[in-house]
Amino acid sequence: LRLIYTTTAVQRKNVGASGPEKYTEAFIKKQIEEFNLGKRHLANMMGEDPETFTQEDIDRAIAYLFPSGLFDKQARPMMKHPTEIFPEQRKIQWGEDGRPFHFLFYTGKQSYYSLMHETYEKLLNVQKYQDQLAAQDLPPRKEKRNLAGSRWLTKIELEEMLLEKLSDDDYSRFIQLLQKLMTLPCGDIEEKHIQKFCKEVPAQLQKVVFEPLKYDERGVAFSTGEGTRKTARASAIVYDNGTGKITVNGIDILHYFPVLQDREQLLFPFQFLDRVGKHDMVCTVSGGGRSAQAGAIRLASAKALRSFVTEKEVEFMRQAGLLTFDPRVKERKKPGQEGARRKFTWKKR
Amino acid sequence: RLTQVRWSRYNPSFIEPEVNKELYQKPWEELSEEEKEKMELKAVQPIKAAPPSVSSSVFSDPMISKFTNMMMKDGNKILARSLMAQTLEAIKRKQLEKYHKAPEDEKGTIECNPYVIFHQALKNCQPIIGLSSITKGGKTYQVPVPLKDNRKRFLAMKWLITECRENKNRRMLMPEKLSQELLQAFNNEGPIIKKKHVLHKMAEANRAYAHFRWW
Repeated sequence: LRLIYTTTAVQRKNVGASGPEKYTEAFIKKQIEEFNLGKRHLANMMGEDPETFTQEDIDRAIAYLFPSGLFDKQARPMMKHPTEIFPEQRKIQWGEDGRPFHFLFYTGKQSYYSLMHETYEKLLNVQKYQDQLAAQDLPPRKEKRNLAGSRWLTKIELEEMLLEKLSDDDYSRFIQLLQKLMTLPCGDIEEKHIQKFCKEVPAQLQKVVFEPLKYDERGVAFSTGEGTRKTARASAIVYDNGTGKITVNGIDILHYFPVLQDREQLLFPFQFLDRVGKHDMVCTVSGGGRSAQAGAIRLASAKALRSFVTEKEVEFMRQAGLLTFDPRVKERKKPGQEGARRKFTWKKR
Repeated sequence: RLTQVRWSRYNPSFIEPEVNKELYQKPWEELSEEEKEKMELKAVQPIKAAPPSVSSSVFSDPMISKFTNMMMKDGNKILARSLMAQTLEAIKRKQLEKYHKAPEDEKGTIECNPYVIFHQALKNCQPIIGLSSITKGGKTYQVPVPLKDNRKRFLAMKWLITECRENKNRRMLMPEKLSQELLQAFNNEGPIIKKKHVLHKMAEANRAYAHFRWW
């Protein structure tokens, strides 16, 4: 009885129950020995050195020896280390007399509750330490951890760590407890415990490449930018040493955008950077409606202005929402309804 | 598979943008501890795009845009905005007329800025407690209940708009009627203030049922 290669979180069956799907340790060990032997045989067959045969070589060899036209990569023949194929399962939780090992076995989620108990114990420790410091009149230490670079484990990751199914409620309770522990001033003692549930967030949000200014024949600096909004596509060229004239598709903005709101949107990036009368702009736009074209040109001009401005101001522009692409599009109409959200008139009979 | 009914195209980790220019022009040292932390957090989190009705110029005001949206019918934002502009112009004209006719000592008390008048009028119209219908033992009671800020603002704006749409003469246009109502509300007179007082009196009359509230 072989289980398909999945994570434990997806399995809905009662993990604590005994059944024919349980793998004993001896079984897993045998599988590992067979895998290693097979690896060496495969290396011999391919004419490579058995000692330095890596997983990538194995994959290539299997793909060569057993070519498969199946679409799903998981359905093709594979040869991986048994720990990757057989999902981590808990060993049988009770002894030969039927008595469970863990004292919280009958709660159903023994690892989750034991983790909650441990974390609460740490919290009480921290409070006791705080009281001791207060009794001795020492000020509490205040070393703030960098919140910006890390995030908590997601529910799925926690489930895989504990080998148990959790509910959303359980997960949120656990995170609240951890946050409480962190906010206390002397929470640094339990740093190690907390770090098991933290993950580094790669702060790669600003992978922006700074384009240098280009100079045209007259020696005036200019830069280009492109923007889209709904179905409108716009590209803008912003010139330096200008009077603040803006031309769209060869027409002045007063004639192209009779509505005040659109003109406000075009001037928004310039007004934000206090450069209203200093730049000239020439843009081309197609597609979309009146408001979508205005939004597209706004994004294009904001992107073009990035090369004229310091890094800090670029960061301010981003925080004002000028540099983000607006993903909102028209929602599709669904069958059985009159529109995207509007339902047909409800008739009682 | 279940999809949520209220969902947005943005990832839930995206944060609302902050358009106010002055917040960004403060030098680094003047910010308090909390604001510095908030700025650092913001630097790592992705931010949504600014909506088209919002801009950093002095002329865009969140209350005014909210009011314009409430006045809008069938998505005709152009008409709503023009009505709003005409209302503010009408208020300014009326106040300037009053200003030029008033004697010297009263000239200081007359308020000419239409935005200030608008904000003050809305504030004067906001009720403090509202009534909520609670069913207990088969009977429905009107229970006095404290209102949240959003709800207060919404009620004030809603009353203003319905009042202007229903109780005007046949030939009077919306901006004129609105400016009239706003000026009256600014001076704490007029039908909307009366409505607010009526609501307060009802709440006072139903004081006995106040213990039915459980939140």
